[in-house]
Amino acid sequence: MIERDVRLFFQYKFLVIMRAIWFVSQIALFGVIAANMVSVPDYFRYYVGGLSVMTLYSTAIFIGFDIYEEAEHGVFEYLLSLPVSRKQLVVGRSIGGGLRAFIYVGPLVAVSLFVIGGINPINFVIALFALFLFSFGVSGMSIAIAVSIKSSDRFDILMGVLDALIVRLSTTMYPLAIIQKTNPLYGWTAGLNPLSYAADLFRWSTGVEDIAQNVQNPLLPLLGIVIFFGLFTFLGITIYERLIEGGGWR
Amino acid sequence: MIGVLRMVEHDFRNFFRYKWWLVGLISMNLADLFISALVYNNILKANVTSQIGSYFNFFAPGLAVTGLFASAFMIGREINMERRREVHHYMLSLPMTRMELAVGRVLSGGLRGMMYMSPLLLTCFIFVGFPTAAQLLLILAVLFMLAVGISGLSISIAVSTSSLEKFITARGAVYYMLFFCSTVFYPLTVIKTANPILASIAQMNPLSGASDMIRSILLPRLQIAESFSYYSIIYIAVFSAIFTFTAAFAYMKILERK
Repeated sequence: MIERDVRLFFQYKFLVIMRAIWFVSQIALFGVIAANMVSVPDYFRYYVGGLSVMTLYSTAIFIGFDIYEEAEHGVFEYLLSLPVSRKQLVVGRSIGGGLRAFIYVGPLVAVSLFVIGGINPINFVIALFALFLFSFGVSGMSIAIAVSIKSSDRFDILMGVLDALIVRLSTTMYPLAIIQKTNPLYGWTAGLNPLSYAADLFRWSTGVEDIAQNVQNPLLPLLGIVIFFGLFTFLGITIYERLIEGGGWR
Repeated sequence: MIGVLRMVEHDFRNFFRYKWWLVGLISMNLADLFISALVYNNILKANVTSQIGSYFNFFAPGLAVTGLFASAFMIGREINMERRREVHHYMLSLPMTRMELAVGRVLSGGLRGMMYMSPLLLTCFIFVGFPTAAQLLLILAVLFMLAVGISGLSISIAVSTSSLEKFITARGAVYYMLFFCSTVFYPLTVIKTANPILASIAQMNPLSGASDMIRSILLPRLQIAESFSYYSIIYIAVFSAIFTFTAAFAYMKILERK
């Protein structure tokens, strides 16, 4: 199942290329221009660090769209007829969704590292591990939502709204202290946002975190990501497994 | 002409079926204004603040254009879905000419964009200031022209892509290219400092033209008001004409072929 989902993703050459163009255009356009507009020191490197995590998030979400495509084209019945247990099918999808996002974002993270500069190897391994868990958690969240709402249109818009709120109320685009200064409620939400944890840990591993001072103790965001991963992987698997029989996914 | 009106009616009825979609889009747009714009307000460089005053006020007209883009683009999503589900056979069997069908779709996409954008434009007026009646008419006319162009662009992409993922991905790519290389998010002077070539592209971008026009009307005392040129309206008209014709032609030809 994992192999199938990873292979399937890379068959979408158009999608893979376009998403890479999004990424580069955000660095080359928004990143470069916005750095000339804001007073945060070295904002360009700060933004590039956050962008890698935003891309990982939006790629891991895509497993939900695959589930709709399969339901629409009758592929789901074929999957159910395969000689794998339901549990293997469901766990495989969740891992496959996260793994392919991670593989896809790998070269983009390399581009980010090239732009950002040096890394601390030990911190980087810890951050990679956290990003790995983060992408599984997002994939599980996407599966849970996709099979629960059963409409590709609603899923697309809900993902858009979630994306708008999760990304904007996180430290991916601006430092936590500024968010708190703008509105304490926004700051509180950003402080509990798994996207903030992932972005902060990635920046921490590359030294960019010194700009914003978001991370006082790296164990706290790491723990936040582990909880996020555990919760949404469990939810995704449980809901998918429950709705898989008797056409409940239709 | 009756065929065009029938298509507009059909698409408007469909539009109101997507209540959740509209709520979602409005939430996304308001999140941009009431979260990102407010946060950026606190981190602007002093020279940028002297040009634009408040980022919130600067971004509010850009937000109306963003909303217009998102909603006018929705027609493409519907047409892409019709193509995938082969509803287009039914559309082609309707008692109207192919031209009426195609023009009706482009026009309804633009009108729906205008309808959706109205509350965002009103929000902008409430926070930034109200225009005179003549200025309002000018704003609405230019935005309508832009909406029809965006609708045409969306239909051109929709009939050329065979799956929802491809359409969504292409929509994202168009969004990033058009918006990030425009004055929707940042003033032209900042783009010029970053890259003069990008600034030249941004000047011709129809989204910049529409945003800057609203700003020059609502915020005439600010330095950025000077960056607006009435030539921008010509760029918007050219953009609209090109994509209206491309969409109508592509819609007629590609649907007949499938």
